[in-house]
Amino acid sequence: MKLLVVEDEALLRHHLYTRLGDQGHVVDAVADAAEALYRAEEYHHDLAIIDLGLPDISGLDLIRQLRSSGKRFPILILTARGNWQDKVEGLAAGADDYVVKPFQFEELEARLNALLRRSAGFIQSTIEAGPLLLDMNRKQAQMGGASMNLTAFEYRILEYLMRHQQQVVPKERLIEQLYPDDDERDPNVIEVLVGRLRRKLENANGFKPIETVRGQGYLFTERCR
Amino acid sequence: MRSARGRLQRRWSSSLRWRLMLGSAVLAVLFMLALLPALRSAFLIALEQSVEKRLAADAGALISAARTDNGKLSMPSKLPDEEFDIPDAKLLGFIYDREGNLVWQSRSARDISVTYLPRYDGGGNRLLRIDDSNGDEFYLYDVEVDLLRGESAAFSIVTLQPASDTQALYNGFMQQLYLWLGLALLLLLGLLWFGLTWGFRSLRGLRRELDEVESGHRERLSEAHPSELLRLTGSLNRLLDSERQQRERYRHSLDDLAHSLKTPLSVLQGASEIIAAHPENREQTRIVQVQIERMSQQISYQLQRASLRKSGLIRHRVPLRQVLDNLCEALDKVYAGKQVTVQRAFDPELQIPMERAALLELLGNLLENAYRLCLGQVRVSASISDGGCQLCVEDDGPGVPISQRERILRRGERLDGQHPGQGIGTAVVKDILESYDGELFVEKAELGGAAFRVRL
Repeated sequence: MKLLVVEDEALLRHHLYTRLGDQGHVVDAVADAAEALYRAEEYHHDLAIIDLGLPDISGLDLIRQLRSSGKRFPILILTARGNWQDKVEGLAAGADDYVVKPFQFEELEARLNALLRRSAGFIQSTIEAGPLLLDMNRKQAQMGGASMNLTAFEYRILEYLMRHQQQVVPKERLIEQLYPDDDERDPNVIEVLVGRLRRKLENANGFKPIETVRGQGYLFTERCR
Repeated sequence: MRSARGRLQRRWSSSLRWRLMLGSAVLAVLFMLALLPALRSAFLIALEQSVEKRLAADAGALISAARTDNGKLSMPSKLPDEEFDIPDAKLLGFIYDREGNLVWQSRSARDISVTYLPRYDGGGNRLLRIDDSNGDEFYLYDVEVDLLRGESAAFSIVTLQPASDTQALYNGFMQQLYLWLGLALLLLLGLLWFGLTWGFRSLRGLRRELDEVESGHRERLSEAHPSELLRLTGSLNRLLDSERQQRERYRHSLDDLAHSLKTPLSVLQGASEIIAAHPENREQTRIVQVQIERMSQQISYQLQRASLRKSGLIRHRVPLRQVLDNLCEALDKVYAGKQVTVQRAFDPELQIPMERAALLELLGNLLENAYRLCLGQVRVSASISDGGCQLCVEDDGPGVPISQRERILRRGERLDGQHPGQGIGTAVVKDILESYDGELFVEKAELGGAAFRVRL
């Protein structure tokens, strides 16, 4: 998943960047609200983690601006005070959940995954599509009960397509899910990765859930639940 | 009866207007009581002067009618003033010679026996009040005349008039005087009340504005007050502004302090988690993490305590429904997967006598407990009576065991003594209630779970 992290403290930002990256997310980590607004406009994020105590524009105002510009991804706020005034204001401004500093990474991750599942319309941490079962906690896929051997990139593409089932996903969106920086973007890589993923799905029992929509992107056709 | 008198006494002693009214009324009554003898004596003087004039005129009529012949007095059978001739009339006439012998009396005086002995001493005239043998009182006017400009025809002419006539006049006057003084007193008190009401209008306006400031409907007092009050309202406004700014600065400072303390703790927490990845460091990092957790709780707890001090100047009242709706909206988002139903068992207009931030913390902590532990039902009930305000948050969860209840309610229970990771919710709730002289009770809820009841 592509995440936007807005935290002014460099060490904490770096910590979130590396830990979330280790969990298979592509992280846009920025230090202030202006940069966050720019990134949110430029890329498609699946979730944002916003510290309420930002130096330029406050975290609350950033959330309001993101919501008023039409961004609908879930927002998790990090609050230092942890008082209800801040929580209520943050959630009323458009955030979806909060974590009080200092937090254990597991807690943040659990909240974040719950929000991601909820935003995709899934309550469980697994997604089923025919014989395919995706375990989002373990970052693993099973086909007919047997574990599939997917690379991290293949898994990310599969999870993203399954979360956005029945929707055409452009290649650029998938690239954003894999690489944080613009200069590494190469559409051919996506084609190669999707090709490999298809073969692995097909090899197991002839399952063909990913279709190419010419000139637009990919479509996961199997109904997920 | 006693309570009504007590109420009246309280009213007089507590209201400036009533005090002024009472003082002015007493002064007005005293003034009129002092005026009464002066008016009465002035009237009596005027009355006696008019009686004297009348009797002098009547004596003059007798003198002009009198004839002397060789020092002997003779009066005509028909006098110019007819009243002298009518028996039982109210005008009597007597003429005495120089030795005090009665030489003539009017027909009207026949049945009257007056024991008056004139003394001819050349003193001119005088007015007296005397009683006759029946005890009736008369005004008597005695004038000495010398009809022939010699001592041979010197007489005392005495005219009388019953005092009862003037007494009736005096009584009528006094009645009128009392009536008019009473009416004047009433009118004066009415005007005084009206004047005081008008004069105190600006004070009432100030009181209304203060009520609005206290209840949070107005930020500061207006400038539309009489010049005598402007200095007071100006000072109050400065005090209000300074308190508001101080609270704002205080809140910002606490926010900054929280941010600057908790963010490094987050970094430490993160670093310790990375170090803990190596099995040989696990024990040491566990110790570090417990200490981080303790520090974090202490910081949160002390910051909450500092920020939730009760305001001395402004008496807050917050609509419960609005605060509860805000909190439920927030908690519904956080517990979106749980579908919690919150029953609201209170009057929608009910206001809780607390500051908004304090009520948010109190209710937020209790409600979050309820949301976290319930199966799906939460009930918030509240009522206000003479005994104070009652607020209750119940859930249908597992409830609180009796041993835990005592621990939660123990006064002065310090956070360090509590289990790590428990959170500071109940400690903050207890602190808020302490500053509002309130109490917290933990009971079994009708819904089956825990009931946190607050009395304010």
